[in-house]
Amino acid sequence: MMLVTLRLATHHQELRQHQHGQTNYVGQHDESMLSDMLPVYYARLFPQSVFCRWLSCGSSPQPLSHRELSFTLADDVYLRYLSISNQKEFQTLLQKKCPYKLDIGAVYNTKPSIGRHDAVVLSRELVFDIDLTDYDEVRTCCQEATVCEKCWKFMVVACEIIDKALRDDFGFQSILWVFSGRRGIHCWVSDFEAKTLDSPGRAAVADYLCLIMGGDNQNKKVHLGSDNLHSSIRRALTVIDKYFEDIVRDQDFFATPEKLQNLLKMIPDENLRSQVQTNLVKSTAPSLEKWHSFVNLVESYCKENGSVGRKLKYLLEEIKIQLCYPRLDVNVTKGFNHLLKSPFSIHPKTGKVSVVFHPNNVKSFNLDEVPTLNCLLDDSSPSHGQHQANMRTAVKTFQEVVFSLEKSEAIRRRNDTTQGYRQEVFKTDGDCPVLLRIARSKCFCKTLYLHTEYYKLVHRDFPFLWITAFTQKVNEV
Amino acid sequence: MDLQIKRKSVKAPVTGSLVETYPHDLQMYKVPPIEKVSLQEFETLALERLNLLRSLTNATTLKGLRMYSEEWTEYVLNDLKTLGLKYYVRLCERTACGSTEADLQARRKDHIAHFILRLAYCRTEELRRWYIARESELFKMRFIIMRGDTVDKFFKLNNLSYTNISDEEKNSIITYLRESTPHQNIDTLKYYKVKFFEVLDLVRARKAYLKGGYAYIPHKDFISVLSAQYKKHLKHSLAIAAQHLSEIEQDERLVSLLKGLHQTYTGTDYSDTKSVVPIESLDSLSVKSFPLCMRQLHEQLRAAHHLKHGGRLQYGLFLKGIGVTLEDSLRFWRDEFTKIMDLDKFEKQYAYNVRYNYGKEGSKRNYSPFSCMRIISNTVGQGDCHGCPFRHCDVSNLKNRLQGYGLDSQSIQSVVEMTKKGHFQIACSKYFDAVHNVDLGLGINHPNQYFEESQKLQGEKKGDTKVQVKNEVRAIKKEQGNDIEDMDFDEISEWKE
Repeated sequence: MMLVTLRLATHHQELRQHQHGQTNYVGQHDESMLSDMLPVYYARLFPQSVFCRWLSCGSSPQPLSHRELSFTLADDVYLRYLSISNQKEFQTLLQKKCPYKLDIGAVYNTKPSIGRHDAVVLSRELVFDIDLTDYDEVRTCCQEATVCEKCWKFMVVACEIIDKALRDDFGFQSILWVFSGRRGIHCWVSDFEAKTLDSPGRAAVADYLCLIMGGDNQNKKVHLGSDNLHSSIRRALTVIDKYFEDIVRDQDFFATPEKLQNLLKMIPDENLRSQVQTNLVKSTAPSLEKWHSFVNLVESYCKENGSVGRKLKYLLEEIKIQLCYPRLDVNVTKGFNHLLKSPFSIHPKTGKVSVVFHPNNVKSFNLDEVPTLNCLLDDSSPSHGQHQANMRTAVKTFQEVVFSLEKSEAIRRRNDTTQGYRQEVFKTDGDCPVLLRIARSKCFCKTLYLHTEYYKLVHRDFPFLWITAFTQKVNEV
Repeated sequence: MDLQIKRKSVKAPVTGSLVETYPHDLQMYKVPPIEKVSLQEFETLALERLNLLRSLTNATTLKGLRMYSEEWTEYVLNDLKTLGLKYYVRLCERTACGSTEADLQARRKDHIAHFILRLAYCRTEELRRWYIARESELFKMRFIIMRGDTVDKFFKLNNLSYTNISDEEKNSIITYLRESTPHQNIDTLKYYKVKFFEVLDLVRARKAYLKGGYAYIPHKDFISVLSAQYKKHLKHSLAIAAQHLSEIEQDERLVSLLKGLHQTYTGTDYSDTKSVVPIESLDSLSVKSFPLCMRQLHEQLRAAHHLKHGGRLQYGLFLKGIGVTLEDSLRFWRDEFTKIMDLDKFEKQYAYNVRYNYGKEGSKRNYSPFSCMRIISNTVGQGDCHGCPFRHCDVSNLKNRLQGYGLDSQSIQSVVEMTKKGHFQIACSKYFDAVHNVDLGLGINHPNQYFEESQKLQGEKKGDTKVQVKNEVRAIKKEQGNDIEDMDFDEISEWKE
């Protein structure tokens, strides 16, 4: 350890000589220094113990070693199908490989290094990935990889809407929110029902949460129809309304005639469109004022033209949603074995820690105060203290989620054993989730494992099916 | 014919008369038939059911009717009548539970035919998916036609008992139910509480109120629960059938019959083509013979020198299907992508993808090019330009694009009209006619089929020249074929290092 710190110090000095005159060099991220700093970070600051507890709880009833990890080393060397059986192994692996990027995959029926392509996925957290690059067509402050305080508000809205939907509508409780390290947020749902949800189930959840559809060839991407609005959409709209005016002001959505075009393209009715155009195109008023006059125009137009107006019933809502509603990367949610960046790993490009945060605090989340590798390790940096404190808070938030997950997992197991799994087999044959609960109990796992070889040939795409097929056998016996 | 093999998964043997065996027009096909069936009947029943399933696809894709709408059902029934399948008409027209001899015979045939097709369609993943999709459409169609007490009887016969929620519980959430359930008279309906994963189709379309992991559904929506269960059951049974396939295959009489059955109807598999297309010709081919979805991707690639993942997959597999070799494909993508990135980045991030499409990486499966259904139902997100242009394009954008291609306004109008009605594949066929200046009205259900039809048409026009060119190209490519294998070996060993 001493050695590493020493080497770090000399590196600093060299840097100092290189760029004398600049004062803020210490806080700047430098990719070439990662290989020096990462081992120290992994050894001293990475919450290894909680991390392993979270993973093993998320992997149960399978052992921790059946979980796939993947490392990206220096120079983009990519290692898949790694696994660990305990914290000690994890520590050794981290020190040996010093990964620049750390990703988490699914839980398999065997050690991923043995099974490789033939292994069957048994469970996987339900994950969501929201990335600010997907907002490029609406946000005006930044593009691509950059991100600022203004566009972070989109993430605030996204986090609030998704979190509420997951808790209220789907009844999930163990929800972990993580900053992705650069320009987005990830969400991990570890409830048993979420973990064992099959592919169609994941796709359905993703589609339920996804309102903005369409690629580059579609201008209007939200269609709400003219029936009643679903309760979940109403709830999302109340969240959007809280931030909408702020965002319109920040983003200045309709400042120039070119930007105004984006709004005009979303209006399906030609008469209304030309009305709006004549009224707004010359105006120099700020965007928010333009929005208000747009709202008035739409409302009076709908009143005057009854039947046409009905088609435009939710136009305002549709536009609000297209501008502010969360844009999920649905493929991440739908896929079973999509790898996702681990909490508390370092983003190699920014040097920021992927900290865990509480969804209630997302509003006060400050991008500049996210702990960076440099500031955490360099105690001469002015923001060292601040970053360390923030790191501690993040770890604490992580702990809270993991503890409550462990608790609910324990309760679930107790309930299962008392009810007796065998009875359940006969009671509800053909019902997947119940069967998975059976698969959970240990004595069954061994037998199931033996049968895997046999069944996996047939059920490559549907990992749970072989369990159903197996219980069929049990029934016959 | 002895259906011995299937007896293994029988829970309770069927006994008694037909009345006891087939009490209801609609069945979940839980128990296989165990009686003797003549080889001839075996064959007719199988073919007749195939015709039935095929008319379901025709109604959806060729006619472009909305699934389960009245016109859709009517089309299917008329089709069945013209095909002379009276017993299916009887079963589908008014699903009931009578007990006349004709009823019973119809149910018996339905039952046996279903199980025969299971054998024919359990062979590969692709076939299973097709069969499950069609059978559940059929099931749903028949369930929707059922009325009142027949439904109750069906529930009773299948041991489906659910209790509705109390009035208090209902009143406490009544406003949400009104908002979220697309039905009239919410106040008078009885509501039931089921786990959300039992009604995924309602969840996906936001057609049920969700709270705490439960979906609140009225009696009417129970079809969702049932069809989900039915699908699951079918999937599982097909998997079991697939395992026992080898036992069946000992009987040669059946093998030829079963293997022949499915080939005609699911369309051709384009993953292995014999022809070879040089990449230099892609620019001209994209104008002449590519369907609009692929032409759009090709142009986007040429313009932006990049495609997002969905686009690379859709276009890459299509290219493989028309006969672009792996080596050519790599060169094609490399040439284009390296205009905006360095070679190193391409090799690291994208070359894997290309080889993957050709079954050289990852699970090493030889992937088939996407069919129209797959492309249409694909999700298209921000920055994507794949998908079906008739489905995923604004009408104004589509119009501009077609005008840019120099199509005359009348054909543009006819394409756009079909698009607006949601008949995407018919719109594609109109586009085909406009580009080729013909009036064929083809049924397009695969981009590669579009390409082949177009090539065939142009071959006819030009006469023999085209064919000769193809042969020459093939001869050259054969020599290069060896290089590809060598190259692959090198790369694989590199990868391992």
